[in-house]
Amino acid sequence: MTIKRRTFLAGAGAAAIGSQLHVSFAAAQEKVVRFAMPQDFTRVYTFATTEYNQGQRDYASLVNAKGGVNGYQIVLDVSDHGNDQPRAIEAYERAKTQGAVLIDPLSTPVARALVPRVTADKVNLITAFSGRSDAADGTAFPYVFPMSPNYWTQAGLLVDYFRQQDGDLKGKKICLVHIDTPFGKEPIPVFEALGAKLGYSFQAFPYTPPGNDQSAIWPQVRRAKPDWVVFWGVAVGQTVALTEALRNGIPINRVSSSVWLSESDMDIVGRAAMKGLIKVEPCASGTSPKIIQDIIKTVIAPGKGAGDKAKVGTSYYNYGVMMAALMIEGVRKAFEKAPNGPITGEWLNAGLTSISNFDADGFMPATTITPQDHQGGGKCRIARWDGEKFAPVTDWFTANQDVVWAEIKKSADEYKKTAK
Amino acid sequence: MDLALLLELSINGAFVGMMYSLVAAGIVLIYKTSGIANLAQGALAMMGAYFAWAATALVGLPAWAAIPLSLVAMFAVGALIERFALRQMIGQPIIMAIMLTMGMEIVLRGLLPGVFGTAVKKIDIGIPNAPLFVGDLLLNRTLLIGGAVSFALVLAAIFFFNSRLGIVMRAVSDDQTASWSVGVRVERAIAIAWGLSAVMATTAGILWGATQGVDWSLSLLLIKALAIAILGGLDSIPGVLIAGVVVGLVESLATGIIDPLIGGGTRDVAASVIILATLLIRPHGLFGREHIERV
Repeated sequence: MTIKRRTFLAGAGAAAIGSQLHVSFAAAQEKVVRFAMPQDFTRVYTFATTEYNQGQRDYASLVNAKGGVNGYQIVLDVSDHGNDQPRAIEAYERAKTQGAVLIDPLSTPVARALVPRVTADKVNLITAFSGRSDAADGTAFPYVFPMSPNYWTQAGLLVDYFRQQDGDLKGKKICLVHIDTPFGKEPIPVFEALGAKLGYSFQAFPYTPPGNDQSAIWPQVRRAKPDWVVFWGVAVGQTVALTEALRNGIPINRVSSSVWLSESDMDIVGRAAMKGLIKVEPCASGTSPKIIQDIIKTVIAPGKGAGDKAKVGTSYYNYGVMMAALMIEGVRKAFEKAPNGPITGEWLNAGLTSISNFDADGFMPATTITPQDHQGGGKCRIARWDGEKFAPVTDWFTANQDVVWAEIKKSADEYKKTAK
Repeated sequence: MDLALLLELSINGAFVGMMYSLVAAGIVLIYKTSGIANLAQGALAMMGAYFAWAATALVGLPAWAAIPLSLVAMFAVGALIERFALRQMIGQPIIMAIMLTMGMEIVLRGLLPGVFGTAVKKIDIGIPNAPLFVGDLLLNRTLLIGGAVSFALVLAAIFFFNSRLGIVMRAVSDDQTASWSVGVRVERAIAIAWGLSAVMATTAGILWGATQGVDWSLSLLLIKALAIAILGGLDSIPGVLIAGVVVGLVESLATGIIDPLIGGGTRDVAASVIILATLLIRPHGLFGREHIERV
């Protein structure tokens, strides 16, 4: 049998259009709320994505097992963008045609690339622990939601904890060892502004990505005689930083990190050697919180979990649960406001900006998101590694938000003027 | 600038350089035998480290058994690469063989984290992390031991090229057709070179893995190794040792002197500048043989 070129092209075109129509009809007919989760499973964010995404899927399964929200099932479309912007944009465009009302790429460069598109298309972009810190300003970024303390807030929280420990930071020295990327440099303005305000001196030490050799950095840190050290990186950069801190005899109980530190990092460096290490904790870790227990009972025990059982309750797994809980709370709020939909990005946006004092039964700090504040209040707690787990040493709190919001406003105003 | 800091950076930099030179020695070994620059050397270091990790963490072997087992396995991998990939390229332009090694690098960099998982893995070879101070100077135990092991292995490679098998390899390198004509088994010599090169890469991968953990980023050792091989001369094993120390020193001192001035990480830039400068000023490197073709 032979097929004419024209027949083939016409058939292929019809099939392509038909497949899109089918999906659109399906989305309209099924009672589903569709979230797109193109994330980086193969390149840069691999250290966190698997566990983060597993937590998200398990929480969605828990909600769906209980009947969903208002009779609607939560559908998570998971794919791999490999931290590659063209692939991520393609995934976003596909998700949009399939009716997705939210996208969570868990990647700073991808999130930055998507901002103009989601703003124009009115699709909600989640940038938890990634993306632009100034997206906390909902007036400048109406469709971008960090929904978690941004890097400026995390820096502010650490400095306040140091102040709580030492009483006064006047004359003290804080050193930041950071990966030499925009992410690594991001907290510097807040450390500098707080230094001017609180009287401590600040010194930054950049290292070349990915940070697998920092042997020439840490002797300089040691000789700077810091009172506190903050290290700011991801993946192998974190474990190498910790190893070098140990080798340079820097007291581990004066060493601290942003949220990007997990139990698996402790395994690499040695659980016992890391006792006293400090990190910013956006939600509880471990399996004891009620929300994790519910997941274990309803999803994991019947064998419906999305991944390795051993990862349930790790820091990054719980970050995923936290974010999924906030997204789905947004869906709940959206149904309260408009029970009959239609299920659109605008509809969900109204729900997300109505989240009020949501803490998932104490699993996370009470979070309130408004059309102005997309960060959610900027609360976290400080945890120390006790040799086995990250144990909280403070209650949920926020600090230095005046300095943080000055940075947010400065940067957001620049974005409003230049769209960059 | 604090002189003690400079001294400390220089000592640690020299040892780091010696660890790099182990990867570079593998590149030189293959180049000396077959005239091909192996761009998969970083990926072989990563693969060897993954094998050692798998032998300890998945199979449950102690490090003293897992390491030799990985070395043997990687020797076989190197020889098999030559047998089933490189030998197919006989008769093809040399650039195609080099591109093949580049393809292997890309495939292995994606494949191994896919098989073993993307999280950083731990290899414990028993070197303590506790600080070692000599006066005001801190010496990094892992770098000291790693550098010493690398130094010994590169020295062994120098002696190897004066052994009977080494002389055979040099003959193959000089003229494959002439070697064939006098009964040298050229393919066998090249396969052994690939096997030994993989063993060197594995040793480097394990030493670096013990320092930083095992993940895809071990394959980035290729850039440093290339800088060293080019600076030292692609056909000079002693050159590798000296160039390794030079690259390690330059990187370490650049981090200590230039980074604070410009507020950025220049460590990797140093290696790239060394590659460029060498190719422009002395293309055959410090100790490489200058090839003159009569036309």
